[in-house]
Amino acid sequence: MYLNSFFIFSVLLSVLILLFRNKSVTKFIIITYGLIHLAFSIHSWTNLGKTDLGYFTYDHTALTFLTLLSVIVAAVIWHGLIYVAEDDARKYNIYHISLIALVTSISGAYLSNNLVALWIFAEATTLAVAGLIYHDRTVSSLEATWKYIFLSSVGVAIAFIGILFISMTMKGSGFVDLSFASISAASPNANPLYLKIAFLFIFVGFGTKMEIFPMHTVGIDANSVAPSPIGALISTGLVNMGFVTLFRVYGSLSDSVISAWMNRILIIVGLLSLLTAAGYMLKAKHLKRMLAYSTLENMGLVSIALGIGGRSHYAAILLLIMHSLIKSGLFLQMNQLYRALGTVKLDESGRYLKIFPAGAVVLIVGSICVMALPPSGLFYTELIIFRELVRGGNWFVIITSAFLLCCIIYAMTVRIMHVVFSPARSESTNITKEKISPWETLSQFLFFAVVIILCFYQPPYLKDVINQIVENLF
Amino acid sequence: MINYLTVLFSISVVYLAVTERYRVYSRLLAIQGIILFGITFAELTDLKWYTLLFVASETLIFKALVVPYMLNRIILRTNVFKVHTNALSGFYSLILIILSLLASIFMANTLKNPQINTVFFTIAFFTLFAGLIIIVTHKLIISHLIGFLVLENSSFIFSMAVGNEMPMLINIGILLDIFVGVLILGFFGMKLKPNINELSLLKD
Repeated sequence: MYLNSFFIFSVLLSVLILLFRNKSVTKFIIITYGLIHLAFSIHSWTNLGKTDLGYFTYDHTALTFLTLLSVIVAAVIWHGLIYVAEDDARKYNIYHISLIALVTSISGAYLSNNLVALWIFAEATTLAVAGLIYHDRTVSSLEATWKYIFLSSVGVAIAFIGILFISMTMKGSGFVDLSFASISAASPNANPLYLKIAFLFIFVGFGTKMEIFPMHTVGIDANSVAPSPIGALISTGLVNMGFVTLFRVYGSLSDSVISAWMNRILIIVGLLSLLTAAGYMLKAKHLKRMLAYSTLENMGLVSIALGIGGRSHYAAILLLIMHSLIKSGLFLQMNQLYRALGTVKLDESGRYLKIFPAGAVVLIVGSICVMALPPSGLFYTELIIFRELVRGGNWFVIITSAFLLCCIIYAMTVRIMHVVFSPARSESTNITKEKISPWETLSQFLFFAVVIILCFYQPPYLKDVINQIVENLF
Repeated sequence: MINYLTVLFSISVVYLAVTERYRVYSRLLAIQGIILFGITFAELTDLKWYTLLFVASETLIFKALVVPYMLNRIILRTNVFKVHTNALSGFYSLILIILSLLASIFMANTLKNPQINTVFFTIAFFTLFAGLIIIVTHKLIISHLIGFLVLENSSFIFSMAVGNEMPMLINIGILLDIFVGVLILGFFGMKLKPNINELSLLKD
C-alpha cells in the first residue's frame, strides 16, 4: 500500500515537473521527492517482513540499502541543484525527471522479491541513467551514453537468458513464479548444469550494474562523464542494486549443489576485478576514472568476501555501506574540484590545498577512507576478510589481493598528493574557475565521519541488521 | 511445421552473419520476425488466446515491421549501405558461424532435458553466438545494433522453452523489444551518427 503511494507520488512529481517547466517549481519538487523518499525509507522499517503489491518485500537487505540510498540521494539532490543551477529550464527539468526515475527504479529493485520484477527495474535504471549521463550534451557524454545503453542492454539481455535458464530448471517442480523464495525451494533438486549457466549469465548480465569484471567498463565511462552528483549515485546506489541482485540470486541458489562452485567463481571474478582496477589505476590520468576503478576494486573485494563465506559476509555488507558513503562523498567533491581548478585531469590539476583547503582536506580524508587505511571503517572490513582468508588457508588469494591492494594504494596516494600539494604539470584549457563555499563540503565530512566512527564503534542495531541480512541469505 | 520454421530461422541467421549489406540485414530481421510469429503460434498452444495474440502481434509489429523500418530510415539518413571494409570478411564469418553452430549443437545436446525442446535450444544458442559474433567482428555502430537485435531474438527463442508455463517471461521479452525501440529511436534520434566507427574519446 505504502509502496503503491510512493510509486504514484514519484510519477506525479515527474508529471508536475513536465507540466510547470519552471526551475523554481522543479527545485521545490525535487526537494519534496527527497523528503518523501526519506520518509518512505524510515517508515518502511515499521513494515519489516511484510510483502507489498505481491512482488515487493520489506526485508533487512532491501531496507538497509533503501535507507542508505535516501541519505545519499539527499546529498545528491543538494549538490545536483548546485550543478544544474545555470542550466536552461529544459535541461534542468530533464535532469530532475531522470533523477526521480532512477531513484524510484533503484528503490523498486531493492524491494523486489521476484527476479523478473527486479530485472524490469534494472532495465528501467538503464533508461533513466542514460538521460543523466547525457546531461552535458558533449561529444564525450554522447559516447559514454551510447556505450552505457549498448552494454547495459546486452547485459540485461544476457541476464534475461540467465533468468530463462532458472525458469527451465523450475519446469515441472510445481513452482510457476520466479520469486526468490520459489527459486530457493526449487534449487536443491534442480539440474546443476542449468543452474551454473543461469548463475553465469545473471552474474555477467547484472555485472554491468555492479560494475564488476568483466562488465565494469560500462560504469567507468559513465562515471567519468556523468555530472558528479550522478556519478555519486551511479557508483553507490546503482552499484548496490547490482549487488543486491547478485546477493539474492546467490542466496537463492546457495542450497543447491553448485554452492561451492559459485564461491569459486566469485573469488576468481573478485581477483580479476582487483587486477583490472590496479592495472588501470596505475596509469589513470583522470581523477573520476580513478574513482570509478576504485569502485571496481571495492566490488572485487565484496565478491571475494561473498565467495569466502563465514564472517566475510558480514564484512561484505558493512563494506558496501561504508563504500557508498565514501564514494558518494568523493564524487561530490569532484564537482567542487572541477569548479575550483577547471579540470579533473591529473596533469592539469595541482595546488588544491592552496586554492580550496576544505576540498583538499575532503580529498585527503576521503582517499584515506577509500584506501581502507586506519581509521577508515573499511580497514575493519578488510581485516575481517583477510582474517577469514587466513582461516581458510587461501594463501594465493591473500598474497595476490594484498599485492594488488598495495598497488592501488600507491597509485591513489601519488595522484591525490599531486593534486593537493604539487603544481599542475600543464595548464588547464578551462579558465572558468569559481570560488566555492566551504559549507558545500559539509555532507562529505559527515559521510566520512560516519565511516571513521564505524571503524571503532558499530551500533548494536546496525550489527543486528547486518547479521539478519547474512542469516536471511541461507 | 515447427521444425521447418526453426531450420528456416537458422538459415536466416547464417545469412545474417555473412552478409555485408545493411538493407539485407534489415530484410533478414523482418523475415526473422515473421518466422518467430509462426513459431509462437505453433509452440505456445497452452496460452490463452489474448496472451497469444499479444505475443504474436508483438513479433509481427515490432520485430517484422517497426525495427526493420527504423533500420531502413537510419540507412537512408546516413547513406551507409555496406559494412566497414575492416570488418571480418564473409568467408571467415562463415567459418566462425559454422563453428558456432557446431558448438550450439554440442551445448544443446549436453543440456538435453526431456522437458525442453533440443531443437529450440540449438537454435537459441546459435542465434546468441551469431549476435555476439556480429557485435565483436564488425566496426560500425549500426552493426553492433544489429548484433544486439539478433541477440534479442535469441532470448525470445529461449523464452519459448518455458512460454507455456510462464507466459509472463514472454511478455518480459516483449518489454525488451520495446526497450530496443526506445534505444534506437531515442538514441539515433539524437546526435550519434551510426556510421562512425571510432568511439575513442573515453580511454585511460
